[in-house]
Amino acid sequence: MKRQVPLALCFLFGIAMILTQFSPHSYSQAVYREVIVWGLIISPFALVLAVATLAQTHVSRIRFRSEHWQYSIVVFVGMITMVCVGVPFGPKNSVFEWLYDNVQVPMDATMFSLLAFFIASAAFRAFRARAFEATLLLIAAMIVMLGNVPVGDLFWNKLLSLIPGSDNPESWVNSFADGASRFRQWILDIPNGAARRGIILGVSLGVISQSIRIILGIERSYLGGGD
Amino acid sequence: MELFGIWVAAFLTLCIYSFLYRDNPFYRFAEHLFVGISVGYGIVIAIHQGVIPLAWQPLSEAVSALWTEITGETTPEIRSALWGLFKIIPIAFGLLFFARLSPRHNWLVRYPIAILIGFGAGIAIPNMLQANIFEQTRATIEPFGAIGPFVDVPPEARLSALDIFGAILMVIGVICTLTYFFFSVEHRGPINWLSKVGIAFLMIGFGAAFGNTVMGRLALMIHRVGFLINEWIGSFGALF
Repeated sequence: MKRQVPLALCFLFGIAMILTQFSPHSYSQAVYREVIVWGLIISPFALVLAVATLAQTHVSRIRFRSEHWQYSIVVFVGMITMVCVGVPFGPKNSVFEWLYDNVQVPMDATMFSLLAFFIASAAFRAFRARAFEATLLLIAAMIVMLGNVPVGDLFWNKLLSLIPGSDNPESWVNSFADGASRFRQWILDIPNGAARRGIILGVSLGVISQSIRIILGIERSYLGGGD
Repeated sequence: MELFGIWVAAFLTLCIYSFLYRDNPFYRFAEHLFVGISVGYGIVIAIHQGVIPLAWQPLSEAVSALWTEITGETTPEIRSALWGLFKIIPIAFGLLFFARLSPRHNWLVRYPIAILIGFGAGIAIPNMLQANIFEQTRATIEPFGAIGPFVDVPPEARLSALDIFGAILMVIGVICTLTYFFFSVEHRGPINWLSKVGIAFLMIGFGAAFGNTVMGRLALMIHRVGFLINEWIGSFGALF
């Protein structure tokens, strides 16, 4: 009951999703759509686990007066405010939208932009062309970054203008104009595309084999410990 | 209200940037507020875009249809609305997540987790096969179909020398990258060489990803600084 039923449910839903996707019959497609809706209904309830864990952590911080416990109150104030405004009045409510536009979005963007400084400082310390592979990484990153900004092409075109005959519009030199952005695009499309494609193929094969193991009940770690 | 919003956003932006000096109460306040606001936003979206339209509305319509059916005024639309009663099943499974809060019954949480895991695994197999294996393999091989003069393609659709070089390099890169992740054989001899070429491709890929990430973050920073200079400092005139 505690382990066999969840294993059976997992098998049933997994097989249902596979079979109905491969069958074009209208009944099969109706079952497929209904099971997807079931999944979409159940998954928001999983948020209960996340919120319960977050609340547990911050309540215990407040209760035991841990270091910086006052900020745990700020977490609850933010969460309760959004829920009290958003749940009864909906996400289209003007106060909810105001909170989203003027509190959440600016903080989200600023948090991510903060990483620019840390990535730059970490790269300055870590990026040393010690080995061939590290040099490749460094060069690819430099080209992509330079190709992303207008100054990259400006610098490249300035270098091209130093070649004799470049002032002639019909010169072969001009076919290499804007090379920084073009070379960046080529790196993104071909070598980067090949590496990504290799990773995607490998990951997909791994996901498929792991999914088969889960559906067949060979992989059971999601059930956790205990009986 | 708009002016107040600009000042609130600017204050929170400066609170977060104050971390560049060192950890301080302003940053901790903004950090915790961000966590709370984001979780609250997630709850609202989950309820309004998941629970209400997919579960609550069909179920309440089905209950009222059931009442109409009992009173004898039935139509085909009312009959079809009755299917909404089946939404009780996923709602019941979803409610089992609350069993996590009871130490004695928390094993019940395995039921909805098993359904979601089975659902995810079942949906992943055909989608991964189609989108990631067949399509990616097709896209790797497809350019060779446009190489003239061996294939019958119009001259304007034929690949240039650079495109042919790119297509060949793509195939080499994909094979070598896959070889690097192929651990079923020992990496010696030709396999070792292929795997080393695969590492080179991976390093270029990681470098490109790093470069794109840095530029993305810098774009965000420019946007935030632009906001502070144009909108926040620009709003001083309205105040003073």
